[in-house]
Amino acid sequence: MVTRRDLGKIGLAAGFAGTFTRPAWAESAADIAVKAAQQYKGQTITIVWEAGLQSLDPLNFSGPKWKELTGIDVKVVEAPIAEMFTKIMQDFKSGAGAYDALNVVPAWMPDLVNAGALEVLDPFVDKYGFRDELQKIAPTYRDNQMMVNGKIYGFPDDGDVFVMYYRTDVLGDPALQAAFKAKLGYDLPVPPTTWKEFDEVGAFITEFTGGKTYGAGFFRESGYANFTFQERFRNEGGKFFDGETMKATINTDAGVKVFTDWLAENKFAPPGVEQWGFVENLAAFLQGQTAMTVSWPPYGRWAAGYGTDQEVMSWVPKSTIAGKVGYAMPPGGHPELAAGFCLSVSSTSKNKEAAYLFIQWLNSEAVSLERVKLPYALRDPFRDSHFTDPGYAALWPEAKDYLAALQAGANNGLLDLSLLQTDKYEEVLRQSVSKLWAGEDPKAILDTAAGEWDAITEKIGVDKQKAIYADWASKSGAYPKM
Amino acid sequence: MTVAAATALRANPDRNFRYWLLTPAIFLLLLVGLFPLFYSLVVSFMRIDMMDTDTSFAGLYNYANMFKDKRLWAALGHTLLITVIALPIELLLGLAMAYLFLEKLPGRQIFISLLVLPTIISPIVAGATWRLLFDNRYGPINQVLGWFAGHPVTALWTINPHLVYPAIIFCEIWQWTPFMFLILLAALSNVDKSQTEAAAIDGAGFFRTFRRIVLPAIWPVMAIAILIRGLDLARIFDIIWALTSGGPGTMTETISVYTYAQGFKQFETSYTAAIAFLVIVILTIVVTWAIRRMGLAK
Repeated sequence: MVTRRDLGKIGLAAGFAGTFTRPAWAESAADIAVKAAQQYKGQTITIVWEAGLQSLDPLNFSGPKWKELTGIDVKVVEAPIAEMFTKIMQDFKSGAGAYDALNVVPAWMPDLVNAGALEVLDPFVDKYGFRDELQKIAPTYRDNQMMVNGKIYGFPDDGDVFVMYYRTDVLGDPALQAAFKAKLGYDLPVPPTTWKEFDEVGAFITEFTGGKTYGAGFFRESGYANFTFQERFRNEGGKFFDGETMKATINTDAGVKVFTDWLAENKFAPPGVEQWGFVENLAAFLQGQTAMTVSWPPYGRWAAGYGTDQEVMSWVPKSTIAGKVGYAMPPGGHPELAAGFCLSVSSTSKNKEAAYLFIQWLNSEAVSLERVKLPYALRDPFRDSHFTDPGYAALWPEAKDYLAALQAGANNGLLDLSLLQTDKYEEVLRQSVSKLWAGEDPKAILDTAAGEWDAITEKIGVDKQKAIYADWASKSGAYPKM
Repeated sequence: MTVAAATALRANPDRNFRYWLLTPAIFLLLLVGLFPLFYSLVVSFMRIDMMDTDTSFAGLYNYANMFKDKRLWAALGHTLLITVIALPIELLLGLAMAYLFLEKLPGRQIFISLLVLPTIISPIVAGATWRLLFDNRYGPINQVLGWFAGHPVTALWTINPHLVYPAIIFCEIWQWTPFMFLILLAALSNVDKSQTEAAAIDGAGFFRTFRRIVLPAIWPVMAIAILIRGLDLARIFDIIWALTSGGPGTMTETISVYTYAQGFKQFETSYTAAIAFLVIVILTIVVTWAIRRMGLAK
């Protein structure tokens, strides 16, 4: 019997076949890249990719396919995301030219461009006719993550956005809804749209179930909470800096409210939530221990059971909640476009043209659609056509709603803070979160953090950083339009 | 050397020839040892920070900054705290264990081999393993404590400020006490038994015998063990990085962790070089004092 899952697989296979058997008269960006790259047959290009599931894309799918089509070998250098920036900078500073193509987190771009580590891509884009297809990348990513100082340095290649996942069976339970209304005097919102609602629903679920199902789980480990702080702070009306003086303003009421609310929320979350990162939060949600959470897109796919039967996914806990998950914008309505990846060419590469052609092919409409559907990889939809692809929408029963949530997130998403030496500012945030869990006072923590941010800004140069911040703040995804 | 070459050398006894033979090795040692040291010193007087294009001479700027850097002095304080707690415990436990295994016990060799196992594990692997063991959700330590407590225990060993130092020091002691044990066992085995037996016949108690006979006999070895472990603790990194990464906040950040963060996360190359020289100066003073104090220079 052919199931819906099988139909999805058939669709994927058909799409795959269509991609690589396209007639010559309908030359796409992928076709152009393949044809032009054939002159480099026998060469090897090296690409830096995040270690783990992310790199299974070039190792198992795109790398071998590119070799088959062009005769160019792809060598994948895997690195944990925390080390990728260092590796790229070290290679650039040493002038070794060990890497040809790069995966770059968009927030790193000003630093890498300022250092001269990335190649300007505009001449290649025009030469190989990629401009039209670039326009079809979802506007948030295209307009905010592609250029620095008006020049293209990377192709947005991953629609990383936070989505709220909630258990439709728990929040839709009539007994729970009735008890909620009796206690709080209003209908239980499905899903909650403000943090006040979210907190009241979450606390009530924990109380109602006696902790059998906790109201919510969260990213609280400092590396992840850096993103959730940035998101929530801006949804609460916070601004990172005073645009005139460049003095840090993270210690305003909005920041203190976020930290204070977090402490209160931990009381209705599972014990030890302060240590939760991606895997802990995922495990609790998939095992039905938490009713709501906010995370990156793979949670939605894996909660539905999509792709988790593959061997490489054996570490993902078996979902006990398939078919019981709703997708929505996180409270506040403006999710973080947390991290993400762009494809770039290293300025020290000795194979720039071949490297460029590979990333054009990867990022093209046809090939990227196949890549975002790979069940084991972590690239998420980022092109308009990805969100509306019938093949994707058929992958599991609720996939259409999932894609709609991702598209809404892309339309309303907030960019990660991106300045010169962004990681120094983020490191202060990470330490601040860590201090919060150690029991320090929220206001005191944020006052210290603001002082440290000011010191970083002064060291870099107030005017220099002010110009970069003004450019970043002018982007559509910098702050919510209240 | 062939017979012909030896004959030629005897015929023309160039005494400097042996120095010429040594030259490549000395040059190589200078290249890989002293050059980086002097180059780091030069870098510490510059403004290199990976991200900036201005790498000009900065004079004492980086050194002056160190005096204003509270985080640096806090890191030195954390390092000292861990050292002064862990080192005496490792020494006393190692000594006690060495005494225990001095006697001929059944299965002694097997026990000694098992006890030494933690020392041969890479510290970063040990740290990562302990992090799993301390995990509040899946870690067995909380589970075992829960059995005794009669209710679930969710102690946050790597986050709670009251638990994080005990956790680090426990791991450190677990891994390195066997090192002390092994060295002290070897030292105790070489103590002249006739002297301790004579003391016992004369009615000297255990502590008197230890202080007057055993300690002077094992002191040179014990002092070396203390020095090695003290230096190891002064540059403790792996276990802390794996367990807490210096957190919560910067509460467990040691000087090595801070130096790593400045050098390889913040790319403050020149400032990191200056910190490295500060550490070299501090350790040189401490080690010189310790060597004199312990009588190792004699």
